[in-house]
Formats: sequence, structure tokens, C-alpha cells
Amino acid sequence: MGPLIDPFVDNDFMLRALLAGALVSIACAIVGTYVVLRGMSFIGDALAHGVLPGVAGALLLGWPTMLGAAVGAGVMIGGVGVVTRRSRLSSDAAIGLLFVGLLALGIVVISSSDSITTSVEAILFGEFLGVSDGDLWTLGIAVLVVGAIAVWSARPFLLLCFDPDLASVMGYRAGRYHQLMLALVAGTIVVAFQTVGSLLVFGMLLAPAGVGSLLARRVGVMMLWASVAGVLSTYVGLLLSYHYGWAAGATVVLVSVVLFFVTLIATSLVPRRPG
Amino acid sequence: MRRLVSVLGLLGLGSLAVGCGSDDQSSERPSVVVTTSILGAVVTDVVGDAADVIVLVPNGTDPHDWEPSAKDVEAIGRADLVVSNGLDLEEKLVEALESAEANGVRVFHATDHIEPLAPTEDDHGHSHDDGDPHFWTDPLAMAAVVEAFGAELSNLGIEVDDRVTRVVTDLKDVDGVITQLLSSLPDDRRVLVTGHDSLGYFAEHYGFTLLGSIIPGFTSAADVNAGDLAELKEAIATTGATVIFSELGTPTDVAEALASETGTRVVELATHLVPADGLYRSFLLNLASDIVAALSATS
Repeated sequence: MGPLIDPFVDNDFMLRALLAGALVSIACAIVGTYVVLRGMSFIGDALAHGVLPGVAGALLLGWPTMLGAAVGAGVMIGGVGVVTRRSRLSSDAAIGLLFVGLLALGIVVISSSDSITTSVEAILFGEFLGVSDGDLWTLGIAVLVVGAIAVWSARPFLLLCFDPDLASVMGYRAGRYHQLMLALVAGTIVVAFQTVGSLLVFGMLLAPAGVGSLLARRVGVMMLWASVAGVLSTYVGLLLSYHYGWAAGATVVLVSVVLFFVTLIATSLVPRRPG
Repeated sequence: MRRLVSVLGLLGLGSLAVGCGSDDQSSERPSVVVTTSILGAVVTDVVGDAADVIVLVPNGTDPHDWEPSAKDVEAIGRADLVVSNGLDLEEKLVEALESAEANGVRVFHATDHIEPLAPTEDDHGHSHDDGDPHFWTDPLAMAAVVEAFGAELSNLGIEVDDRVTRVVTDLKDVDGVITQLLSSLPDDRRVLVTGHDSLGYFAEHYGFTLLGSIIPGFTSAADVNAGDLAELKEAIATTGATVIFSELGTPTDVAEALASETGTRVVELATHLVPADGLYRSFLLNLASDIVAALSATS
């Protein structure tokens, strides 16, 4: 069937990586669209790194790494909340503070322990070519949960992105939905980091959602485009990794970012249709 | 990643700055600072009570993931002799070692005293490193290093000739034991699939074929790519290899996935870890007997 299909038919690990990548793409398309619209990229980046000490701690104590990652993400979100409420620091300073603090803590823990055999790279970039059945189930359930929450809170989320004041006027508690949105971002990173790595999740949160925001005006259509862009990037990235021997996870992210710029150029050349 | 690197850089600078402020604590015995635990085991054996031996990278830690602390950099700066592996194994210490050398600290690079295995040119046309640093999987290469190290010690006025002779004799003896141990293994089973390219010297010396690695290269740091993994899978299928040896820093999920797809098993192999008794001799014997046990088992 040729070099575009065969690698996935002949190699189970390629097919699993494609499936996992597609599931991550869908979850990230939903969550990432809100991240892009509401301007929460920095907290997303910080969360992607902030899970590191949690994972290191979990490895040290023999806990499931996902639990450790969730604790790390919780400390990050809670810490940013405390700092912004109790000090005059802006939220980006608070995020930066916790980001660098947690990352440093992770490195200190990993450096001084002789029982952690997982490398920092494995946490940040994941094991994209070692996806197990359990990973696929976890990701599948995560997509359903993320999708359900997004549908259930579609209206308040939308208001939060475009007109937070109106959200309050209409009786939605903006703060509470902001926390829910943060929890969605954190949850996506926590569930997906083991498979595709925490940095790769972050890439998949931003780039495909960016493509969606270039191609559509309505949030639902943006998410659809973002899913397509994410799945396409996963497929092309894996093929490039297969044929040229490029690092798998990084290639997928690279393709998605290139796809964003190609879309950007294409949409600026083609005049927008009215409406 | 760049952000991570710059943050790490900052932390590293911080530790250097702290290192200068510590107070003096010189003991009467000369201090020998060794970078890795395996070299540390050998050096301890050679110097005996003639010097204090300090090992920097904790046993069982991937040198790639390890960051020197301020105390470590201080120890290097105050050492009478620093023993390093060389060939980029201590990537996080390169600058600390260079600046110590520039300040007059003697640094003994073990791999200066062996014939390094050349870096392999891979299928995609880029070569990996300066040479293979994993010389400790070959006892005779280690014996050559021990002899050179003995000469270096006597330059410092530490005379341990009889210990050097004993260690070298012991290493040659271990070499004979391992050869004997491996003789039961037929040629068609002398095929090694590893986490990264760590058994080059072992394979060269004892007549094994290195089929490939999950992370091709001398460091466990690189990321896995689909093309190399598919080639490795193909190679395993054609040669009928039965075991994938996973090591420190090997992506375990990828190793398991490859094993289940090729009908092989994953066996943990301590290629960078000194056993509980702290002896290099035990490390070598464990390594060889683990390999024999894994490869001779009928799957």
C-alpha cells in the first residue's frame, strides 16, 4: 500500500502511537481552543513543567506517576491562586515563580536520588513509541470526560473567553469556571504526559488550536479544525520519524507548529470571505 | 527544551558561586575524586588506605540526568587527583573539570589510556560522539587503565605498585572466568539488543554481535525515533534474537512494546551499576552471568 500506509500496518507500535496521538489531539483540540482564546498559554506551559517534581516524588515513593503529576499540577494552580491573591504580583509573575520553583525542585529530587531510573527526557517528551493498551483506554476515557465537561459548560466557557463581565451578569460565577478551565488543562496534561510527554501535550494544546482559530470563527468549528490539524500532525510526524529517523514526539510537535505557520500564510494570502 | 536548558544553566551557575564560599577542610590523606561509581569501585581497590576516594555521581544514577552540586564542584577544585571517564560520559561536569584543570588540578581521563571504539555512522549519515565511553564492560581495557592510573598515582607520590599489580592480575583472572562462563553460549545466541549502545567493548572482546539499541548512540539521552525502532524490529525478526536488555535510562514502555511485538522478553541489565558488595569484579561477573542466563534460556 506504499510508504504512507505500510509503516502503520506493519508495525503495531506505529499504529498505537497514531491512535494515542489522535486521542490526545481531540482532547487537546477541545481544551486548547479555550487556552488560545482565553490566553492561558503560560499557565499551560508552567503546568507542563510543573508536573515534574510530582512525577519524581511519585517515582521515589512508588506511587502511580499520574497521581504525582496531579499533585504537582494542583500545587501549581493552587500556588498561583495564593500568590495572586496575597501579593501584588501579577498572575504571570506568579506563574513564572511557581514554574521555575517546581522545575528546580524536580531536578533536585531526580539528581539526588539513586532510585529514580526514569530520565527527565522521558517525562518531558514521553514514550510515544511505547503506548500500551492501558494508555489507550486512559486516553479514551479522558477524551470522553473532557468532551462532556466542554459540552456541559460550553456557554459559560464561551462567555469567559469573550466577555467575562457578561458571564457574571448572566449569573455564572466567572471565577469558578476559570478554575474548571484550569482543571481541564491540568487534567489533559496529567493524563497525556505519560504517553506523549508533558511538553508534547503543551505543543498539541497550542498549535492545532491556533490553526483552528485561523480557519473558523465559531468555537465548535475551531475545535473541529484543531482536531483535524492535530491528527494530521500526528500522522505526518510519525511518518517523518519513521522514514527519516527523527525523534518521534518532537517531530509531531514540529509538524503541528509548521502547519500553523503554513495556515497563517495561506489565510493571509486568501482574502477572508465576508461574515 | 531551551527554557529547561537555560534554567539548568542558572542552577549550575548558582552552585558554582556557592562552591567558592565554603571553608577549608583538608585532611592529611590526599583526596581522589572519581566521577562515576564503577570507576570509583576500581579506584578504591587500587588506592586502598593511601587516599580518600570521593565518588560524585551516586551509584545507580544516570550520569546524563545528574547535576553536580556545589559540594561536588568544591570537591573537584580541592582534589589532589580527579579521575574522569572521558569521552563525554560526564557531560554535566565538562566545564567544571576544564576549569579545575586550568586551575592546576590534575585530571586523569581513563579513556585516554585505551583504544576507544570508533563512533558508528548511522544510516541517516550523522555520527554520534567522539567514541564509545563504556570501556568498563571489558576487564582488559580496565586493566590498561589501572596500570596508567598507578603511574599517575606514583607521580603524586602515592606508591601502590603492589596493589596495582594485584588488581591487574585480578582483572585478568576475571576475564578468564567470564570467557569460561560465556563458552557455553553457541554463536547464534551471541546477539545483543540493548537500551543504548553500552556493550560495544564487551561485544568486541567476547565475540558478540551488537544487533542494535532502542536509543542508537552512546548516551541514553536522545529520543526514540520510529525509523530506527522499525529497523531494530526487522533486525530482531531476521536474526531471531530473544532478549532485549534494558538499562538505566532505557524507555521502559518502548522496550516492552518492542518485546511484545517481536515475541522477545525484556531483561534488566546493570551496565552502569556497582552491586551491593561494591566490587568491580562482582559487577563484571554479574553482567556476564546475567547475559548468559538471559540468552541461553529457551523462550
